[in-house]
Amino acid sequence: MNAPTGLDFVSIPERIQSEVQRAIMRGIKGVEYFSTSGPTLGSTPKDVLHSRGTMSLYHYRPMSDEIYRVPILIVMATTNRGYILDLVPGQSFIEFLLRRGYDVYMLDWTAPRPEEKSLRMEDYVLDFIPDCVRRVQADSGEQDVSVIGYCFGGVLSLLYGSIHKDGPMKNLICFTTPIDFREMKLFSNFSDRRYFDVDRLVDSVGNVPPEMILSSFEMLRPASRTVSQIQLWENIWNDEFVKSYRMFDRWATDTLPLAGEYFRAITKDLMWDNKLFNDTMSVGGRAAKLENIKVPILHAVAEHDHIVPYDAAKHLIAKIGSEDKEEVMLKGGHVSLVAGANAVKRLWPKLDSWLGKRST
Amino acid sequence: MTDKTHDPVAMWQQMMGEMEKGFNSFANQAMSSPEFSQAMNRAGGVAAGAQKQLGEVMEKYLVAMNLPSREQVTGLAERLQSIEAQVHEIKSMLSQMAAGSGTSQGFDTTPRPPRTKRPPSEGGERT
Repeated sequence: MNAPTGLDFVSIPERIQSEVQRAIMRGIKGVEYFSTSGPTLGSTPKDVLHSRGTMSLYHYRPMSDEIYRVPILIVMATTNRGYILDLVPGQSFIEFLLRRGYDVYMLDWTAPRPEEKSLRMEDYVLDFIPDCVRRVQADSGEQDVSVIGYCFGGVLSLLYGSIHKDGPMKNLICFTTPIDFREMKLFSNFSDRRYFDVDRLVDSVGNVPPEMILSSFEMLRPASRTVSQIQLWENIWNDEFVKSYRMFDRWATDTLPLAGEYFRAITKDLMWDNKLFNDTMSVGGRAAKLENIKVPILHAVAEHDHIVPYDAAKHLIAKIGSEDKEEVMLKGGHVSLVAGANAVKRLWPKLDSWLGKRST
Repeated sequence: MTDKTHDPVAMWQQMMGEMEKGFNSFANQAMSSPEFSQAMNRAGGVAAGAQKQLGEVMEKYLVAMNLPSREQVTGLAERLQSIEAQVHEIKSMLSQMAAGSGTSQGFDTTPRPPRTKRPPSEGGERT
């Protein structure tokens, strides 16, 4: 029976019992949390095909009896580790692709060493990516390669594709890729050219430290870390919640430093002069106009992306020169779009249905 | 069943969610101002300058202690990196030779599946 206040007095003892049980479980699981290291991430079997300084090229072992002709090269964002796309069995984009019959390679990054502070945008776009594409071609025996770029990996893939307009890129897929950097409002304000002396920073520290990168990401939602820790404590009795929290927390805090010269170029060319959007971007003296890209392209954006807001990404498809082009907006945030529990129902099948018919 | 609007736990969770949204929104507004950018970058500039000075002092200290300087360690790292790159090149060449002789492809010695897969609409059911 409900009292006039709306409280269900009959269920109160049951509720108290449930809360007491949870409180006990919190104590037990809390000890367990601090004495264990969490799930092993990035465990899909792979071979390191090539490694040079900050760059690593992996080949994932096929999981299907028959694979598509065209291999995929995934270009990871330079600020974060690639294992976000290969969390645990059942929640791994890589595993999904392998089981659907794709031959998957990944260009992943490790922290640039102090002596790599001089790496420039040219090194990433005109050396690392083409080198990996050549190695994928040699290893697979196929000339065509589909490229998937995540976040800033998408920007690098766009720059690569706009300069190498005669191939061998067959398809391009971008996930949450910004091109209009004015619309990344907070990042734009943090790097306001009137107050942010990028030359002084890079000349002082060499490579930009990961703490600085992480702080700038966390400042976009300053309350969220504290609230997520409170939520962890509330749900620490729930093994699935804790597993998910640990996976994403570990990845989010595993931020990479950025090579100094590369960071300088990002700040000046993209954040300050918005050159990619204004069609004035060049890398190593070679024009990088988005209209040069003529291959089929799919751009997946997230409805609740706080890192790359839709306004920063929405002009990509219009500016691309391809006839076969599509943008898809899906529920989720910047990370959950590609790696969240719902990605298996949203982004991954969409990608499969788009890419499968373009991979033969 | 308890009514969610009167469930203290649900109310607490809802309140936390609202607080998070409210604080994030308030902080985002504050961080959008030029004054914030100026103050943040002034503090960042001081920290970067201090870090550089500390680095220079440490380098002098290491020389005085007859320990290798950062430059020397970096030099060694560069040489190691060059050796690593050459080892990878050799591994890659060996792999290609092995592939050419038909013994294997890549570093994985298991034979790779044929590249004949068709999308489900063209080739029937998924494998």
